[in-house]
Amino acid sequence: MHRLFWKIFLSFWLTLIIFAALLMFAASSYLEHIRTQQDIGSMHARLSEYFDQGQTIAKQRGIAGLEEWLHRLDHSEAIPIFLIDEAGKDLLEREVPADITARLDRRREHGEHGVRKKPSHRQPIRLPDGSSYRMIPDFQSITLLRVLQRPRVMALPVSIAALVSALICLLLSRYLTFPLERLRRAAQQIAAGDLTQRVVPSMGGRRDEIADLAGAFDKMAERLERVFGAQRQLLSDASHELRSPLARLQVALGLARQRSSGQAEKELDRIEIEIERLNELIGQLLELARLEAGVDAAHIEQIDIRDLLEGLIEDAQFEAESVDCQVKLQKAFPALIKANAMLLRSAIENVVRNAIKYTKRDTTVEISMLEEAGKPDSIIIQVRDHGPGAPEEMLSHLFEPFVRIGEARDRLSGGHGLGLAIAERAVRLYGGEIRARNEPDGGLGIYIRLQRA
Amino acid sequence: MARILLADDDIELSHMLVDYLGKEGFDVDVAHDGGAALGKALANPYDLLILDVMMPIRNGFDVLRDLRARSLLPVLMLTARGDDIDSIVGLELGADDYLAKPSSPRVLVARIRAILRRAESKGELQNGAERTDRIALDDLVMHMGSRTVVCGNNAVPMTSTEFSVLGILLREAGNVVSKANLSERALSRKLSRYDRSLDMHVSNLRKKLGPLSDGQERIKTIRGVGYIYSRTS
Repeated sequence: MHRLFWKIFLSFWLTLIIFAALLMFAASSYLEHIRTQQDIGSMHARLSEYFDQGQTIAKQRGIAGLEEWLHRLDHSEAIPIFLIDEAGKDLLEREVPADITARLDRRREHGEHGVRKKPSHRQPIRLPDGSSYRMIPDFQSITLLRVLQRPRVMALPVSIAALVSALICLLLSRYLTFPLERLRRAAQQIAAGDLTQRVVPSMGGRRDEIADLAGAFDKMAERLERVFGAQRQLLSDASHELRSPLARLQVALGLARQRSSGQAEKELDRIEIEIERLNELIGQLLELARLEAGVDAAHIEQIDIRDLLEGLIEDAQFEAESVDCQVKLQKAFPALIKANAMLLRSAIENVVRNAIKYTKRDTTVEISMLEEAGKPDSIIIQVRDHGPGAPEEMLSHLFEPFVRIGEARDRLSGGHGLGLAIAERAVRLYGGEIRARNEPDGGLGIYIRLQRA
Repeated sequence: MARILLADDDIELSHMLVDYLGKEGFDVDVAHDGGAALGKALANPYDLLILDVMMPIRNGFDVLRDLRARSLLPVLMLTARGDDIDSIVGLELGADDYLAKPSSPRVLVARIRAILRRAESKGELQNGAERTDRIALDDLVMHMGSRTVVCGNNAVPMTSTEFSVLGILLREAGNVVSKANLSERALSRKLSRYDRSLDMHVSNLRKKLGPLSDGQERIKTIRGVGYIYSRTS
């Protein structure tokens, strides 16, 4: 379907035709108007007047003055008026039409004989130097060109034509750009996470290429919504299915404790710890899966990192205190980041919890916001602990899933090596970077670089 | 013996819980879907409803919403772990507390006991003991005996937990109450990481009571410290 193509083509074409037609109409009306003015009476009167004028000027200012006068007359009078000398040439050197030359010749031949009274203007204008000029109006030569050259005549029709065509073109532009603007806005909304956007309803029942585009857009949005919905559902279901047996285990454990009245305490405690570990592992795996699937990439907002860190630290304090440590925000300033608040918080939190786990007793995990010289568009969040640090060759591998510092799988410290992997995925999602290095005064430092909004 | 209604679609889990809670001294009824849960809750006199969020026919939130339209029965919501949104929505709708599944049954019992304690004063009144305590400040009157609140000229319905939180803040009006303190006194538990229930209860109180007569916010949050019930200046 090429309706749009024809719509545009016809609109432009029609506009041009109308414009040209109006112009022609105006010009020909004017011509008609001029022609009807050429009734003999008024023409004669005007010609007499011109003759008198011309004769006066010829006497007073000679040929130069006469030329100037004729020039001005030529511009104001619709028909050309020639001043032809004895040699048959026009004073302003305009081309004299053949029929006028023929008429003059005839007059000359018969002129000496006729003693009829001639209209005054048929007399020649005589100059002091003896040369004479005959004033001849040329009724045949009202040309379109002459008319078009007169601005006052053309002004009105041109304005009307301009207005009408402006209106048509305006409507056409709006007709084309409005739906495109709507499409653009819908696309932006979808990119920002609102997958429910549809454009077909606001296309106003048109049936052209743009409507086709709108239809395709809506189909795409529907598909996206379905796919993301399905993934979200899958992860939610997985979460539920994995946790139900754990919940039952917990209660069964409780019943076992009630029944065993103190005997098998150690074993039951151990079971409880492992259940808790499983629970955490499931939670983290699901979080990682969600990040990989990108279902939460939407819902982006502007976040103040300082606020986020302050809130995070309040929570982290509990965990820190339970291992006799502290968490402190050393340096912070307001900085805006565009990201999903939950994800970003979770990422930084994983890093902080990791630091708390590894820092020595009675030490402080320090969090600072830094700016890098020469890179004003980004900020760096530094989380450092006072623990053993990590072997140099492992520093780049820390952010892989299930990688942990320590030769033996160090169960006592808890955790499964997923925290930093989660942090890395989340940070990367927002175009950030994460790095680890051993701090010169001991301990591990994690650096997260993020783009400012 | 306190009567509890347990609404959870996990049948095996429910049986075990009935067993466990029975040994702890509770009389437990069960419902396995939202519809049955709502029906039973409205038809019989329970002291507490334990409500699972994910249930067939009607989910926990819908049941809670409908229940709250007609009853102030204390509710403890069982939510999915790691899903903050669940607990927040639940508390907004009027749950007294929440507990994430899976959790140790010991913790469950502790929460149950805390909620029952808070609601107990009503029981005391019904047993004939008169309590004429009332706290009044500016436009707010709290009747401790009947556990009702009048703000301006309107009675304001509240869950028992909200009532407890308000009571503590009002008694110390003009002074900051730390979150830890508030948690122990109102919720009978130590404040733990991620526990947003206090935030939620305070937020609900704000919504229900509105600002003070001079336009100030009734309950202010002091970041990093706690909450304070403002006095009009």
